[in-house]
Amino acid sequence: MIETRPKQRNADAEKRLSPRAVHSRGGEPGSSKVKKGRLAEVAEAYALVVLTIALLVFFWALPSTRDAFPTTDNLRIVAADQAVLLMISIAVLVPMVGGTWDFTPGATTGITAVFAATTVQSSGSIMVAILAAVGVGLAVGVVNGLLITKARINSVIATLGMTLVISGVVQWKTGGSTIVTGIPSGLVNFGADYTLSVPNLAWVGILTALVISFTLSRTIYGRRLYAVGANRAAARLVGLRNERLVFSTYLISGALCGIAGVLLLARTGTGNPAAGPAYILPAYAAVFLGASAITPGRWNVWGTVTAVVFLGILNNGLTLAGANSYVNSLVNGAALIGGVGIANALARRRGRTLEMT
Amino acid sequence: MHAGENPRHRSNGARPSRDYLTIEGVTKAFGDTKSLVGVDLRVAKGEIHALLGSNGSGKSTLIKILAGVYQADAGTLNMPSGEIDLTAHLPSDVRASGLHFVHQEPSVFPSLSVAENLQLQRDAGRNPLASVRRSALHERTRATLERFGVDAEPETLMLDLAPAARTTLMIARTLQDDEDSRDRILILDEPTATLEAADVRMLFDALRRYAAAGQTIIFVSHHLDEVMNLADRATVFRDGRNAGTLRREEFTESALSELIVGRPLATYFPSPGVRGDENPVLRASGLCGNCVDGVDLSVYAGEIVGLAGLVGSGHTELLRQIFGIENLEAGEVSVDGEALRLGAPHLAIAAGLAYIPADRYADGIFPDLSLEENLGIVSLHRYRRAFGLSRRAERAEASRDLERFGVVASSPAALVSSLSGGNQQKVIVARWLRRTPRILLLEDPTRGIDIGARSDLWTLIDQAVDEGAGVLMTSSDPEELARVCNRILVLHSGRITHELDGSSTSADDVTELIHRPTPVAA
Repeated sequence: MIETRPKQRNADAEKRLSPRAVHSRGGEPGSSKVKKGRLAEVAEAYALVVLTIALLVFFWALPSTRDAFPTTDNLRIVAADQAVLLMISIAVLVPMVGGTWDFTPGATTGITAVFAATTVQSSGSIMVAILAAVGVGLAVGVVNGLLITKARINSVIATLGMTLVISGVVQWKTGGSTIVTGIPSGLVNFGADYTLSVPNLAWVGILTALVISFTLSRTIYGRRLYAVGANRAAARLVGLRNERLVFSTYLISGALCGIAGVLLLARTGTGNPAAGPAYILPAYAAVFLGASAITPGRWNVWGTVTAVVFLGILNNGLTLAGANSYVNSLVNGAALIGGVGIANALARRRGRTLEMT
Repeated sequence: MHAGENPRHRSNGARPSRDYLTIEGVTKAFGDTKSLVGVDLRVAKGEIHALLGSNGSGKSTLIKILAGVYQADAGTLNMPSGEIDLTAHLPSDVRASGLHFVHQEPSVFPSLSVAENLQLQRDAGRNPLASVRRSALHERTRATLERFGVDAEPETLMLDLAPAARTTLMIARTLQDDEDSRDRILILDEPTATLEAADVRMLFDALRRYAAAGQTIIFVSHHLDEVMNLADRATVFRDGRNAGTLRREEFTESALSELIVGRPLATYFPSPGVRGDENPVLRASGLCGNCVDGVDLSVYAGEIVGLAGLVGSGHTELLRQIFGIENLEAGEVSVDGEALRLGAPHLAIAAGLAYIPADRYADGIFPDLSLEENLGIVSLHRYRRAFGLSRRAERAEASRDLERFGVVASSPAALVSSLSGGNQQKVIVARWLRRTPRILLLEDPTRGIDIGARSDLWTLIDQAVDEGAGVLMTSSDPEELARVCNRILVLHSGRITHELDGSSTSADDVTELIHRPTPVAA
C-alpha cells in the first residue's frame, strides 16, 4: 500500500520544546521568539495567496496583457473555467484526507458529462440529467470503494484501472464522438450566466468548497477522516471503522464528479468524452500546492481553492501574453512537481519524510 | 578503587586519565526547539562511557550529530587524528574520522544473507561493478562469525537471526576489518533496546573485551542497571545541557536518576484493590485463539492485574483479543456483567474499555495531527455544537489536560510528533482517561520511556484506578510488574500457570516463573 502520510521517525523524540517553554497557552507571551515563530507560520500559510495576488497585479501591469487580462469578461471566463477544475480537485482531495488515492475524478467527470448529455437529449429534463450524472458518479464511487476496502486493492492501481474502464465505457457509449445536439439552452445559459456578477459555475464551486471544508474541519466525520489518513493502525485502535470511512470518501468523490460533469456540460454545451480526463493532473497539482497553503502540511480545501485560482490566473495570463498552448502543460506539470516538492520540504522540516512512491 | 573483580580494568589499575575524545560546545536547535545547548563530553581511551538522559534530553541528537545525520549549530570534536567541525560534519566524513556507530534502529538488510550484510560495509567505496567471489566471502564471513561468537551460517538470512545476534553482528560489521586496532571509537545508541536479558549479558561481555583491547566505547542507554554494570563513567544530559558526570564508584541508582530527572523521584505503590464479594469489572472465560489456550480471568474495580510471560506465551495476545483487534476462536468477555461482542474495537470502547498499544509510534499517535486533535479523537462528541465542532471548547479542554497530565508542549495546536516519546505516551493515556474508562488494557505502557515520565504516567494511571477503573497490563520489565500490580498472572504457552500477590512478589520471582521451563501448577 502506498502511504500518503508522512512517515514517523524516532528522531522526533529528541525534538521537543525545552520545559521552559511551558505548556500553558503560549508560554511567555510577547517574547520575540514566540512572535517570530508565529509570523513565519502566517507567512508560510499565506505565501500562495500572496503569490496569487502578485500574479494578478503582474498580468494587470504587463504591457502585453494589460488590455485583455483585467477585463470583467476575461476574469469571469477564468472563474467559470476553474470552477470545474475546483470540483475535480475537491473530488481528489477528499479520499486523500483519508489516506488513499483517487485517480478517477477526471474520467468520472467525463463519463457523467456524457451521461448527463444523453439523458437530457432523451428526457429533456435538466433535473433528470443532474440525477443521472450524480448517480453515475456515485456508481463509480461504489466500485472504487469496494475495490479498495473489500477487495483490498491498492488505491492507486484500483483507481487507475477504473480510469481505463470508464474511458472504455465512454467510447462504447459515444463511439468517441462529441454529443453536440439536444443540449437544452437552459443548461447552457446557466453555464454562461452570472449572479451578483460572479459566474454561476463559480458559485457552485464556492458553495461546494464551503460545504466540504465545513465537513472536513468542523464535523466528527471530518476529524475521524483526518485521523484515518494520519495513522490507520492508530485509528483502528481508537475504534474508528476505517473501511467505512474510506468507502465514504469515494462516494463523496463520485458525487462531486457528477456535479462537475453537469458543470462541464453547461460550460461547453457539448458532451465531449475527452474533456474530463484532461483535468486530473491539474487537479493533483492544485491539491499538492494547496497542501502548502492556509493550513500547511495538511490536505485542505481552502489551500486547494487558492491553488486552483493561482493556476487559472497563471495559465490565462500566459495565454493572453501570447504563449503557445503547450505552455499550459508546462505550467501544470511544473505545478504538480513543485507542489509535491513543497509538500516534501514541509514534511522534512518537521523531521519526517513524505512517503511518495 | 576498582578491585580486580572486573577483567576489563587493566591490571596496573591505571584509570583512564587523559581525554582521548573531546566534544565541546555542541548546540543544536530544530526550529524554536533547542535540543542541545552547549553540551560537552570527554571520553578517555579504552573507557566505556555511558550517555544517559530522559527522552528529549538531547543524547540521541548528539549521537546523530556525531554520525553526520544532523549538522550542529556550533561545536567541535577533538580526537588525536585532529579537530572536526561539527557544523559541517557529514555522513561521508564519518568513516575517515574513526568513529563507528551501531544505531538504535538496526540498519541491516533483513532479506539479505549474513555474508552479504557483512560484505556491504566492507565494499563501501570500492568499484561497484567488481565481482564478488562467493567462496572467499563465505570463508571470511565464517571467520568473523566465529570471532564474534555469533551462531549463524554465512547464508543465514538476517531476518532469521535472533535480535541479539543481529546487534552483535552489526558491531562485527563495524569492527570486522581491524578489530585488533586500538584506536577505534565505537558508539552504540541504545543497543539493548530489543534484547532479552541473556543476550544483553552476551553483548556486555563482548563490549568489555573490546574495551580491554583498547577500544573506546560510548553507549546510550535508558537502563540504569546496565550503566552501573558496564560503564566506567556516565555523563547525564538534561534538557539539552550537561547535568553531570559520575565515576563508577559514584554510581548509585538514586544519584543517577536524580541527575536524569533533576529531582528526587516519587515512588509509587499499588493501591489496595477492592475485591471480595463485588462483581468484577472485567470477566473473561475460556478465551482461545492465537497463542491463547483457555484463559479465565477477572479484573476488579480499583486493581491492577499484570500479565507476565515470554514472547508467544499469549500475554499480549490476550489484551488484543479482549479489545477485539485479534481474533478469538472461543471465549466470552463481559464488562460489568454485560456480555461484550468480541472482534469490534468500537464496541469494546463503547463498553468502557481502553487499549494502549506498546508501539506508540506505529499504533498510538496521529503524527500529523495536533495535540488537541490527538487528545480529542475518542471524545469528539463533547465538542459537538449546533454549528459543528467547537474548536474553542476543544482547545480549552486540551489545555487543561496538558497541564493536568504534565505534558511538555508549546501549545495544544503543536503537532504531536514534536513531542518526546514520554510526552506522546502521556497524550495517549490522557486521551483515554478523558472517557473515564472502566478497564484500561495497557500493553507495555512505559517501554522506552524515561524514569521521570514513567513515574508521572503511573501517578495518572493510579488516579484512574482510585476512581474505580481496573487495569490489565503487560510489561517487558518484571520490576515494573512487581512494583505496580496487585496481582500478577504468569502465562506459559497460552495458559495461566501462576497467580501471584503483587505485594509479596519480587521482580526476580516474576522473572524466574516466566522462564521456568516446566511450570508447576499454581
